[in-house]
Amino acid sequence: MNNCLALSDETLLSIEKPERYIGNEVNSVTKDKNAIDIRFAMCFPDVYEIGMSHLGIQILYGMFNSYEDVWCERVYSPWLDMDKLLREKNIPLFALESQDPVKDFDFLGFTLQYEMCYTNILQILDLSGIALLSKDRTWDDPIVIGGGPCTYNPEPITDFFDVFYIGEGETKYREIFDLYKEARNSGMSREDFLHEMAKIPGMYVPSLYEVSYKEDGTILEYKPIYEDVPSTIQKEMCTELADAFYPTKPVVPYIKVTQDRVVLEIMRGCIRGCRFCQAGQLYKPLREKDVERLKKIAIESLNNTGYEEISLSSLSSSDYSKLPELIDFLIDSCNKKKVNISLPSLRIDAFSLDVMSKVQDVKKSSLTFAPEAGTQRMRDVINKGLTEEDILRGSHEAFLGGWNKVKLYFMLGLPTETDEDIAGIGDIANKVCVEYYETVPKEKRNGRAVEVTASTSFFVPKPFTPFQWAPMDTKEDFLEKAAKTKAGIMSQLNQKHIKYNWHEADASMMEGVFARGDRRLNEVILKAYEKGCIYDAWGEYFKFDVWMETFKECGVDPFFYTTRERSDDEVFPWDILNCGVTKAFLLREWKNALQNKKSSNCRLNCLGCGAASYGVGVCMEGRNNA
Amino acid sequence: MHKLRVKFTKTGPIKFIGHLDVMRYFQKAIRRAEIDIKYSEGFSPHQVISFAQPLSVGATSEGEYMDMSVNSMESSKDIKNRLSSVCNEGIDILAVTELPENEDKAMTLTYAAKYRVKIRESLKPDFDWVSEFEKYLENKTLPAMKKTKSGEKEIDMKPMIFDCSFDHKGESVVLLLSMSSMATLKPALLFEGFYKSKGLEFTSNALDLHRIDIYKKEEDDKGEYIIPFICDKNQEKIYL
Repeated sequence: MNNCLALSDETLLSIEKPERYIGNEVNSVTKDKNAIDIRFAMCFPDVYEIGMSHLGIQILYGMFNSYEDVWCERVYSPWLDMDKLLREKNIPLFALESQDPVKDFDFLGFTLQYEMCYTNILQILDLSGIALLSKDRTWDDPIVIGGGPCTYNPEPITDFFDVFYIGEGETKYREIFDLYKEARNSGMSREDFLHEMAKIPGMYVPSLYEVSYKEDGTILEYKPIYEDVPSTIQKEMCTELADAFYPTKPVVPYIKVTQDRVVLEIMRGCIRGCRFCQAGQLYKPLREKDVERLKKIAIESLNNTGYEEISLSSLSSSDYSKLPELIDFLIDSCNKKKVNISLPSLRIDAFSLDVMSKVQDVKKSSLTFAPEAGTQRMRDVINKGLTEEDILRGSHEAFLGGWNKVKLYFMLGLPTETDEDIAGIGDIANKVCVEYYETVPKEKRNGRAVEVTASTSFFVPKPFTPFQWAPMDTKEDFLEKAAKTKAGIMSQLNQKHIKYNWHEADASMMEGVFARGDRRLNEVILKAYEKGCIYDAWGEYFKFDVWMETFKECGVDPFFYTTRERSDDEVFPWDILNCGVTKAFLLREWKNALQNKKSSNCRLNCLGCGAASYGVGVCMEGRNNA
Repeated sequence: MHKLRVKFTKTGPIKFIGHLDVMRYFQKAIRRAEIDIKYSEGFSPHQVISFAQPLSVGATSEGEYMDMSVNSMESSKDIKNRLSSVCNEGIDILAVTELPENEDKAMTLTYAAKYRVKIRESLKPDFDWVSEFEKYLENKTLPAMKKTKSGEKEIDMKPMIFDCSFDHKGESVVLLLSMSSMATLKPALLFEGFYKSKGLEFTSNALDLHRIDIYKKEEDDKGEYIIPFICDKNQEKIYL
């Protein structure tokens, strides 16, 4: 236990949720700082309750702390009340475990899970007293390293990072730590250290690359400034997922957080190839974990944490080949322990309904379908395999099983979308209602009506997807489409049983700018932060007007990144990275999409995306090698 | 089935954890300790545990109580060892005793609580507050406005103070205050009254509170007395 907190009792009692800043949680790791060589501060740049819910940090936290010479601690964004207080009292930001200033650490790692966290990165650096720009840093500052999905286009934030780790964290950190120790012992300069880092596979040191632009503002080329650093950076991938480190003693927060349960990652990657989905491409190929090891991890994690719930994690759990065996085991052992099982991302069919009826209260829970689009044509464009028939058959079986609540998720603003596709959303919602009344006779309804919730989000094209070429809708387009969706639902016979939710359009636009942005956005982000933009992912604190004003001041046109048509041969800012799937494959898929042509999934038929070069997972299942 | 009463401390950083989260902490600790805890019936069963009294956020304690029911156990000592082995965050398990089957919950039996109160260094008034507080308590009545569900009502705090002692050198006071379903006096309310009598503004953050123990009411041939829920045999009974 660490009794020496960075803040006084009076201070902690004067702010909201002091539990966010006191560390000492069950399974948090404390080491003797004089007996280790490397201090790593791992940061999720959002509030504690969000950051503590992230699996990736728990994996790396456990892995780093399993090294004798490393002590990894956690840092989250101070909430606004604490932010104000730290600035007023001039208290440097501290890590939770030791409560020592972050600036004293050797590394500060950020996991970048969504674009709207970018100003929070600057908040962390600023409050820590670390130079905001990589070029201004010295050995008095930690090495600032970024990882996570947003690093697959890190260009908008290259000024703030010394290095990005492209790919899965399990593979290269040991090598990085050894290089760091050697560098510090030999008195190497920080610049030389970063130069050496760039030679480790997967490491992208942005300061070692020069970008030149064409007259139309698109990129001409990227050039490494040294001959011995790679011209493209290849994604790191964990090829031995079966033996890779997995934490069975995750930190258990005192307060309720978003993901308040044991998370069991059953596989990585996805075979489905939905064309809007970035994760589906980034984590290819699909690698399943050994079911016996998963059983062991599940039991150990529950014993070590005391959690009352366990959740399976993957992009599409139904594709895990040993799912029935795993679930039978979990139901059996969790029933004994009175532990709940949560099964997100399951395809609704007879098997999953049977399982769900065993682990959930049917009356309270709802079924979730993600058709993503309102018509079969549109679903073919996005390569989403789910058909209307699947939804109605799944609903039918669910209604027979006693469910009466259905959630439907859609996207608006998909490429080639027409009014017909938008009207299709209301149609499907209505058909689900009709299915209920046809399936469940009046006397068996017990007065319960069907409840359908349709939600739409606005589509944001992402790098390394077939839709990376697609123009994005404007805010006005989005709002008009949401209004049409609403009108479509209101015109349905069963409209009073359908609830419609839609997202804010302003934030989607900003996300679109950052997602496919380039280095010219660094200045905008820095300026917006200086003007007080922070917690942009939180609707109530997102200052859209300030952002728009800042774009103007910096002479940057945000629509260049969103609505612009991109030519097939345009050089993208993220082409400096190689995520495993080839640009040729993505382009092929983009063309298929424009012709309403579906593609197969990885298990049925290899599409030759390029990920087979890693030589693992579904690519090696034999029958379908390219 | 066995009914157990657990006495524990709350010290160190965990003092900033609120009551509901302390409950959640114990629910997890009980699972980690693999105690054969009794669950309630129903679709979402919960552990049969309850706490004597919430402790305010920021206060420490060496006398908190939790009641729990277990289906089976080796011994109460084994339960104590099991819980101790999984609680190392400032929660020390001091004792576990088995209760008679008809024993009421600590929650309903609670009659009084003893506190050691200090004033935090940075918020200390610029006079000898211990002496002044001692004088304040000598008043015949100590009126205060107590917030209730339906608004505020005037009460007299004096009869709710069972005992007090003053440490002038250590600048602290020890108070034994009523804490039951009938009448509860929180140290903060008493200090608010004291500050008011000195014409000062009071903030509850000023108090450095430590709960020494929680008491129940018993009776013997000499009359009604109070005594901590779990204590040494030599512990003095305080006759009312």
